[in-house]
Amino acid sequence: MGNKQTIFTDEQLDAYQDCTFFTRKEILRLHGRYHEMAPNVVPMDYTKDPDVKLPMQLIINMPELKENPFKERIVESFSEDGEGSLSFNDFVDMFSVLSEMAPRELKAIYAFKIYDFNTDNFICKADLEKTLNKLTREELTAEEITLVCEKVIEEADMDGDGKLGFADFENMISKAPDFLRAYSSSVLP
Amino acid sequence: MEAAPGTAAAAAKPAKSCKKYRMGKRHANIYTYQEPPHSNSDEDISEEKADSQDPEQVFQNIQYQKEVMSNIRCRPWPMRQKLRVLRQAKEIVLKYEGRLTRTRGYQAAGAELWRKFLRLAYNFVVLFIPWEMRIKKIESHFGSGVASYFIFLRWLFGINIVLTIMTGAFVVLPELLAGAPFGSTVSKTIRQEDLKTAQDLDTIWSLGGYLQYSVLFYGYYGSDRKIGKAGYRLPLAYFLVGMAVFAYSFIILLKKMAKNSRMSLASASDENYTFCWRLFCAWDYLIGNPEAAESKAAAIVNSIREAILEEQEKKKSKNLAVTISLRIIANILVLLSLTGSIYIIYFVVDRSQKLENNKRELTLWEKNEVSVVVSLITMIAPSAFELVAALEMYHPRTTLRFQLARVLVLYLGNLYSLIIALLDKVNSMSVTNSIYSIYQVSNNSTPSSATGTPAKEDTLSATISDAQMNSSESHAQSLPTAGSLVNNTASSNSAQNQCWETYVGQEMLKLSIIDMIFTVASILLIDFFRGLCVRYLSDCWCWDLESKFPEYGEFKIAENVLHLVYNQGMIWMGAFFSPCLPAFNVLKLIGLMYLRSWAVLTCNVPHQQVFRASRSNNFYLAMLLFMLFLCMLPTIFAIARYKPSLSCGPFSGQEKIYDIVSETIQNDFPAWFNSVIAYISSPVVVLPALLLLFMLIYYLQSIARSLKFTNNQLRMKIQAERTEDKKKVVQMAVGQNLVDIPDDQIMSDFTQNSEGTRFQSLDGSDKRPDKDGGLISQESSVRASTPRKNGSVLNFESPVSKGTRIQTISQTVPHAVPSTDVARPVNTTPTTSASLTPAPSVSSAQKPRNDHTTNRYPSVVHGSASELCKTKPYTPVTFKKRIGDVHSEPLFRKSIRQVNPDAFGAGAPVFVGRRPHATRYFIVNENEPRKKSARSTSRLQRQFRIEEPEDIVELYPCNVRRYVVQTPQCMYSPHPSEDEEDEEALGRHYVKRSHRPRSLSDLRPAPRFYIGDRADGHVLTSKVHYKSWDDGFELDLDRPPYAYKKVHLKNVEADQHYLEPQVKPKTKHMLEQSLTESDSVSIESSSDPQNSSNDQYIQVIHSKEKYLKPGTKLTKKKSNTNIELNMSEPNELVCSNV
Repeated sequence: MGNKQTIFTDEQLDAYQDCTFFTRKEILRLHGRYHEMAPNVVPMDYTKDPDVKLPMQLIINMPELKENPFKERIVESFSEDGEGSLSFNDFVDMFSVLSEMAPRELKAIYAFKIYDFNTDNFICKADLEKTLNKLTREELTAEEITLVCEKVIEEADMDGDGKLGFADFENMISKAPDFLRAYSSSVLP
Repeated sequence: MEAAPGTAAAAAKPAKSCKKYRMGKRHANIYTYQEPPHSNSDEDISEEKADSQDPEQVFQNIQYQKEVMSNIRCRPWPMRQKLRVLRQAKEIVLKYEGRLTRTRGYQAAGAELWRKFLRLAYNFVVLFIPWEMRIKKIESHFGSGVASYFIFLRWLFGINIVLTIMTGAFVVLPELLAGAPFGSTVSKTIRQEDLKTAQDLDTIWSLGGYLQYSVLFYGYYGSDRKIGKAGYRLPLAYFLVGMAVFAYSFIILLKKMAKNSRMSLASASDENYTFCWRLFCAWDYLIGNPEAAESKAAAIVNSIREAILEEQEKKKSKNLAVTISLRIIANILVLLSLTGSIYIIYFVVDRSQKLENNKRELTLWEKNEVSVVVSLITMIAPSAFELVAALEMYHPRTTLRFQLARVLVLYLGNLYSLIIALLDKVNSMSVTNSIYSIYQVSNNSTPSSATGTPAKEDTLSATISDAQMNSSESHAQSLPTAGSLVNNTASSNSAQNQCWETYVGQEMLKLSIIDMIFTVASILLIDFFRGLCVRYLSDCWCWDLESKFPEYGEFKIAENVLHLVYNQGMIWMGAFFSPCLPAFNVLKLIGLMYLRSWAVLTCNVPHQQVFRASRSNNFYLAMLLFMLFLCMLPTIFAIARYKPSLSCGPFSGQEKIYDIVSETIQNDFPAWFNSVIAYISSPVVVLPALLLLFMLIYYLQSIARSLKFTNNQLRMKIQAERTEDKKKVVQMAVGQNLVDIPDDQIMSDFTQNSEGTRFQSLDGSDKRPDKDGGLISQESSVRASTPRKNGSVLNFESPVSKGTRIQTISQTVPHAVPSTDVARPVNTTPTTSASLTPAPSVSSAQKPRNDHTTNRYPSVVHGSASELCKTKPYTPVTFKKRIGDVHSEPLFRKSIRQVNPDAFGAGAPVFVGRRPHATRYFIVNENEPRKKSARSTSRLQRQFRIEEPEDIVELYPCNVRRYVVQTPQCMYSPHPSEDEEDEEALGRHYVKRSHRPRSLSDLRPAPRFYIGDRADGHVLTSKVHYKSWDDGFELDLDRPPYAYKKVHLKNVEADQHYLEPQVKPKTKHMLEQSLTESDSVSIESSSDPQNSSNDQYIQVIHSKEKYLKPGTKLTKKKSNTNIELNMSEPNELVCSNV
């Protein structure tokens, strides 16, 4: 990797490889992607661990996320400050979790966070409605939405509290046949 | 980062003084360590190492750290934390590994080296996965459905590479290197009369001329038993490779399928989560193309509507007669077209045969008729089927399945009719060959044919039937006719030189080539030019081309995949007769890959009905397997049934192709081997072996059946339990409502009338938080490590949660989170510390305190440790008595069930020898239900909220007041907007609240504690949540991102100190007490809610007395227990003095 300049030290790359599901090359590529979003802000040299964050606005415009109805929630879930700005670490983290190598449990945790719009650690009816509206681009009528929300809660709510806790969610999602793939994203070269 | 030196220092200390020291250290950490609130986790990690002195422990610690390192990537922490934990773990491992024995060190070093090597190798190998980026790109544009086609293509490409290598290395290369050169034998020379046309384009095009006499085809291979100096047995190799191609394909397919089915977790499709899955698994996170997103959203809307409809009219059936008749018509149409296509193929093959017989010069069309027709049919028929399918009005999914099935049948029918026609022709060819040779011998007597005149003048049908007869009937019968035919063929076609194997190979290769051309053409025409037209003509057209008629081409995944399957089927079918077919297919697939991906990216829109074919889906593979089997049959049949051509190929002169094996065994193996083979192949062995196989199959099948049965039973059990749980919940909810009423009444009364007696109760409950301060200390100490702790903890909560409830009532916003906050810390902190404190040690400062409390609650019934031992029976009792928590029991059991295994998995290495993993989780999970209950109550009581809490303050005696103040405090936290409740907002409220009491000088201690409690609860809340959901992860390592919010908050708020110190003392408090173990404490913890109504009064009184000097007392206690605390103390005091 001594082609032009060192972006990461070897230890850093090793550490990233330990902490993510990426190869060395992919991490460098991720850095490239991160860099190209804001070339002026993001340094090419990451050996000093600079404290750079990119605002959510930039990140959700990535082609990988742009069309995702939950892009804001995704970014928020992965940002350390909860407001959507991502440091490079968070950025790598996000794509690591979204990579197809990530295990079901990990994805489930973040999926839950994504759908928990009001971050009260429950997916309540309001969350479900938001999810539905985002997903269908508000094409469903109000009755349909209520019906679906009721159905969802009826199906998955094991403890009868009228909302989905993480246990409910995980139990439900772990049985979904194509959950793993549905929550995978990849990064362009 | 600051923690690192601190903890390292702690680690360096000898273990004996460790306890206290560490305790202090931790507090120090908490204090010094403000910016990353999740620092605890690091600290906890390092805590593990601190108590490691004996090698075994060191080893375990290292093992633990390694485990941390190895699966850190699976933990739901933010990257920064992961990186730090990783670094620390590495440091620890590095530091302590030296202490271990040498072998262990070597082992570790070796393992490390191996790991590095693996990573390097992996990095290297990944570079060589072809088209990875291309597929990723498509994936990100069109979603995984389209990508799955390309992945499948790539996989087929891999298989074909292996097949090519096999045939290339063992058949083609030896023949080229050591076989007889071109032109040396008859079978390797072009016939004289063909020589002049050998280089014509159409000869080459129809694979004649030089191509026919090349390694491409069977006929070129020599029949010498051994070639070259090394004596390479080419014929044997040819045969074995031909078989190995099939064997390899089978094995790799089955392996892949097995892997896939293992991965797909045997998904229980009858699990009724239709809506959930449609909602939560609907979006394909890969989609990055606006159009794809658009159609995906539309598809989701459709699927949801569909589900709603299905739900609503599950039993409705409309106009059955019409649909059924339509479907019948559709199926008839499909059948007709299938038979039609089969007939056309057969007809074309026959015609070409006849033409070959009759005409000397064939036009280009006539030569390629067969392949072109077959390809055309494969192109057109699927669209026709699609049209027909529109008639049927099935559910789209069913439609797709029908479509796939029909197309598959069509492809198979095509291939089969083609191969059967070819074999028919072969049959006639070999028959004529043999007849011809017979007749040559018998002086070529010209027969008086039954048909009389030469076949040329005959009608087509006559000759065809003759040919048919020849092929199917015996020599004797057809002698005369055969004779005439022989004459014909001899004159026009020189049958000796015909090599049917080459002919079949030629046809297959030709088919493959033409199929490729058609694919390319269709991509260009149907996708590219259409796209161009639509794109550029739509501006000047009378309707919108892009959305109305032609539109853009869709990428039809299913059909394309089927086409791939079909293509591979051709390869398998022809590979034996044309060894270079796999190599050709490799090229074809490469071309297809590039062309398709280009076309998809430039001019396709994703299919409307997105067909979710996941990677772990065996559907394609099953089709492929089916295809492989069916394609293998004709080849095997030909090999077994037909006599190889006399004049060409490696098996010329043999009676059957497989004779080569027995011949080799006979000639080249020792005699004993021969006899062994003879025995093995004799019925004596074969029949029992077959029987054995059957028995085995039967046995396995019955096992599978029984497993399925148990599986079903288990599922039913789960379902039953689930419904039971639901029922219970409902019951309890009802019960709870009943029980809640008095509570509510109290509340309402209290808030409205503010009478003395009720105040007492309220008072008691209000005070509880304070009392908790004390209680927590003992309680947390209890929970050092035995399972009984549950009991104590549970009970413990009861008062707390009660208090909570009361507080929530007075709150303006029925906020869920705050209400739970108070309940939480009691459990959580102890649990965390439980993991940390290894042994029960009673600190001197703590003891009096314990006694104290026991005295304070004389009414408590179950106090003794013995009682606590029986957690199980015990817990329910308390539950029932407790008001709010009644219904939490089943839930909590459930959660435990889920959690425990994981907990063990992750936690085991660290806490070796300590039992209470289960317990710990137990506690944690219990929180959830309780929290819920608390919440529900709060919801119920919403209406009882009352606005004038200030009155209460007035009514109280001065010492009481400070506790009552809490109510206004809570009151003070009105959330302006109910909808957007952020943690952050909450946090702010805490801070604000903390301002409040500050102004009232005499309220100092209470608010401090209370707030401390609250704030703590706030932080810990999130923690608890986390714990409960990522069960597998250690509590101590676990830090929620919510915690960051606090940091963030801090930055925002001016007086961060205020919040911080208040948090700190509390945590510290609990932690330190966690070190002291006294079961007796659980006494008051066990104060049942039932009594608690009574108890509370008593307690209130007690505590009132006690709390006359609360601030001083508490601080004193603290200072007693801990020297380090002093540090914190000033802080607090400052705060409260402001």
